[in-house]
Amino acid sequence: MSNNFDRRKFIGVSAVAAAGIMVGCSNKGGKTRTMESVKFIDQAPEGKELKAGLIGCGGRGTGAAINFLEAGHNLKIHALGDVFQDRIDDCKNKLKEEKQAIVPEENCFAGFDAFEKVIDSGVDVIILATPPHFRPEHFAAAVKARKHVFMEKPVAVDPVGARSIIASSKKAEALGLVVGTGTQRRHQRDYVATFKEIYEGSIGEIVSANCYWNGSQLWYRTHKRGWSEMEYMIRDWVNWQWLSGDHIVEQHVHNIDVINWFTEKHPTKAVGFGSRQRRVTGDQFDNFSIDFEYDNGMHVHSMCRQIDGCVNNVSEFVMGTEGSSNCRNEIYDHKNKVIWKYKYPQKEDGTAGDGVKVSPYVQEHIDLVKAIRENNPYVEAENTAISTLCAIMGRMSAYTGKEVTWDEVMNSDLKLGPDKYALGKVDIPKSVPVPGTGK
Amino acid sequence: MGKQKIQKKRSKLFNLYIISFFFGMIFLFLINVGLESTSTNEFCESCHVHPQATQSWKQGAHVYNQSGVTVNCVDCHLPPDGIARLTAKASTGLRDVYGYFFMDSSDFNWEQKSLRESAIHHVYKSACLNCHQNLFPPMLSKKGEDAHIYYDQKPDELRCISCHLQTGHYHEMKEIEIDEQTMNKEIYKSAAVVDSFTSFTETIPDSKIDFKMIAIPSGTFKMGSPEEEEYRKENEGPQVAVQIANFWMGETEVTWDEFLVYLKETGKEGRTEDQLKDIEKNNNVDGISGPTPFYGNPGQGWGKGKRPAITMTHNAAKKYCEWLSLKTGKKYRLPTEAEWEYACRANTEGAYFFNGEPSDYTARGFWKNIFGVDTTTISGYVVYDQNSYNKTAHTDHIKKNPFGLKNMLGNVREFCSDYFNDGVYSNYSADTQVINPTGPVAGKEFVVRGGSFKSDASELRCAARDHTRQVSWLLTDPQIPKSIWWYSDCNDVGFRVVCEAN
Repeated sequence: MSNNFDRRKFIGVSAVAAAGIMVGCSNKGGKTRTMESVKFIDQAPEGKELKAGLIGCGGRGTGAAINFLEAGHNLKIHALGDVFQDRIDDCKNKLKEEKQAIVPEENCFAGFDAFEKVIDSGVDVIILATPPHFRPEHFAAAVKARKHVFMEKPVAVDPVGARSIIASSKKAEALGLVVGTGTQRRHQRDYVATFKEIYEGSIGEIVSANCYWNGSQLWYRTHKRGWSEMEYMIRDWVNWQWLSGDHIVEQHVHNIDVINWFTEKHPTKAVGFGSRQRRVTGDQFDNFSIDFEYDNGMHVHSMCRQIDGCVNNVSEFVMGTEGSSNCRNEIYDHKNKVIWKYKYPQKEDGTAGDGVKVSPYVQEHIDLVKAIRENNPYVEAENTAISTLCAIMGRMSAYTGKEVTWDEVMNSDLKLGPDKYALGKVDIPKSVPVPGTGK
Repeated sequence: MGKQKIQKKRSKLFNLYIISFFFGMIFLFLINVGLESTSTNEFCESCHVHPQATQSWKQGAHVYNQSGVTVNCVDCHLPPDGIARLTAKASTGLRDVYGYFFMDSSDFNWEQKSLRESAIHHVYKSACLNCHQNLFPPMLSKKGEDAHIYYDQKPDELRCISCHLQTGHYHEMKEIEIDEQTMNKEIYKSAAVVDSFTSFTETIPDSKIDFKMIAIPSGTFKMGSPEEEEYRKENEGPQVAVQIANFWMGETEVTWDEFLVYLKETGKEGRTEDQLKDIEKNNNVDGISGPTPFYGNPGQGWGKGKRPAITMTHNAAKKYCEWLSLKTGKKYRLPTEAEWEYACRANTEGAYFFNGEPSDYTARGFWKNIFGVDTTTISGYVVYDQNSYNKTAHTDHIKKNPFGLKNMLGNVREFCSDYFNDGVYSNYSADTQVINPTGPVAGKEFVVRGGSFKSDASELRCAARDHTRQVSWLLTDPQIPKSIWWYSDCNDVGFRVVCEAN
């Protein structure tokens, strides 16, 4: 067993709230621990100008840049980088349209080395939103340049990448940098309040859990004339293992991360299966079902699917000795009666609200800017690397049909993708895995 | 008056306070002076007169480094602070004083004391971490990152010096040595031609290396030990009647000279990707995969040459046999457990193939500690903990067993081809003879037989059984994945080859 990552780090709403957690003593039963409420603010505190550089100007990248600008005053997008010029242009236009933010032409960089130029362009914060394959290299470069980082999940597509993230994360901690990772549920007020209830013992001890990302098909691109294979793959990245890590890693990592957060540990073993039913392009599966096992014998079932026309469900569920919860806003007794509910703020017309006051996508940037401006740093990267590795462990089991242990994943030299990046042929195997065959 | 008295008393008390405070301060000051003056490098050196300590420290990275910072004796050899530091200081101090007055430092085996297993008793992890607070410094290499993440997963099992043994005291590792006799030889063009079942000298083609193979005649024997044998373990029984066919066995364990020929011919370093792909296709000598370059120092700095090759994995030993078979056109392999014990016993039935009982020779026990132990007979036949100085030995002066084999019971433990199973003997029939048994069909660990330079006499009986330990023998290997060629944490296992007679 090798579960010795700092457990404490699993507890909080990242480190935003880590300072607010206290372990109190009391008798058996009832509250065994207490945690201070996390005091969320609606806007980042005032402070000197923070310039951000965005690397990866696709939909989420542009969205993240806008979220950053919405977090408070005196925040600026200073530089843009992407492999493709048209993505940069689109992003630039959108920032201008929606936020009246102008990014000077000389700060826009295209190509595979754009990330270096963005990092060197005189920015304070780096936003990483490329396909996850590139995250470890970009994160290492950003930390080396002593930049604060906001990066989208997942943080890697393979164990080699995830270990690089863990190492860079430790370096970032030592340097006093702030690193947020786009696991926005940890910054979503209802989730955080529910976590506090469960942390304090309202459902007793967690004995099992489920998590789901059953959704419809994501987008895909068809190969256009004039595109090289590399250009096509990157433009179609959510369908390729080496770029996205497959959808269990790319998308479902959110839910797996919530379970890690609530159970305060990570699974040590995975047995799963999956297949490819209706995905159009790429080499990925479109459904996974994984049985995660923990060191205390607890099991967690994880399911994810990207197929149209099926019943959808994106959620988590934890079962405790004294109740259960959807992790988001409700706690139930063993007869499924709601015994606690998160109180959403009222709508403007005075009726009961059903959404958190500040979107978690903005909240995570508010928390980031606050931590930078108040010099109260936190680094979420290691936690997210661990959640990413859990998803990779599940994927490896589904691809091979074999049991995969945490030790194996932590010590695996699996590295996906080509060794060098250049527009042209991509010399890697591109077959869909067939479980049980070693292929 | 009363008031005055009280005042007087008060001032007396006050004076007493002042005086005791004053003396207290002096006392603390003296303690501090004492602690400081007994913590200087010069003070340490005044007793630790052996040149290994000071010299190797000055050559190590704690003095000889880019930053110009010097790390002193007590920075590593005492816990960083608090009560632990004081108690450790007191106890090491007492031990050192005793050693200084009652022992002769030239009797110490300094080489042994600088090995990892000994060094961990003299270096405090808390002391390492007191200065090295950031395990992920900016200049850390990719290899270092992986190693420290590995450490993070096993902080209780690993010590800093598990990997960084050379940091405090630098010991120059000896390079591969080939002895002069071998140097002057001709290069062999072909393997030995064998046309009868007699002992022969094998010659490895394209090298200067040869070694003796002893003909072991077929026969039967009782495998395992009788219940009344001293220090017997349950897994050595019940005794089984076994019949063994003719075979040849190496007179000694495979030496570094022999193993290095294999490394040189098959080692992965220096090969191009294309060559490797080509090799996979063709079943020639090059078709046998060879070890990766050494990780660490497999020879332990004891020299190589005619010393037995060690620290290779069971897999590497098997691959060596495949390679040797292709080179010589004969059928070389690891011995089965039964062949090994048959060859070791050489038609004897006692605990050893020479005279004496384990209780005569074991160094364990209260009286033995005080009065010493009899080593006269056993020392001639075996390199073990009483005569090895804790390292492997050349085998020239070791007496042979009745079959003509050297060091079956000592020097290094030896791999067998069988999977290990504690209860395997009870699976064999009690009534009929078992013919050439090859052990369980599956398993996780392999049989290891014989004793080593580290063994007590009670552990190196003919029937004593042991096995490989894949996890703990690779514990400090930080590579990902761990080496399939070299054990990082086992330095007393090697192997002997057998050659099939048919």
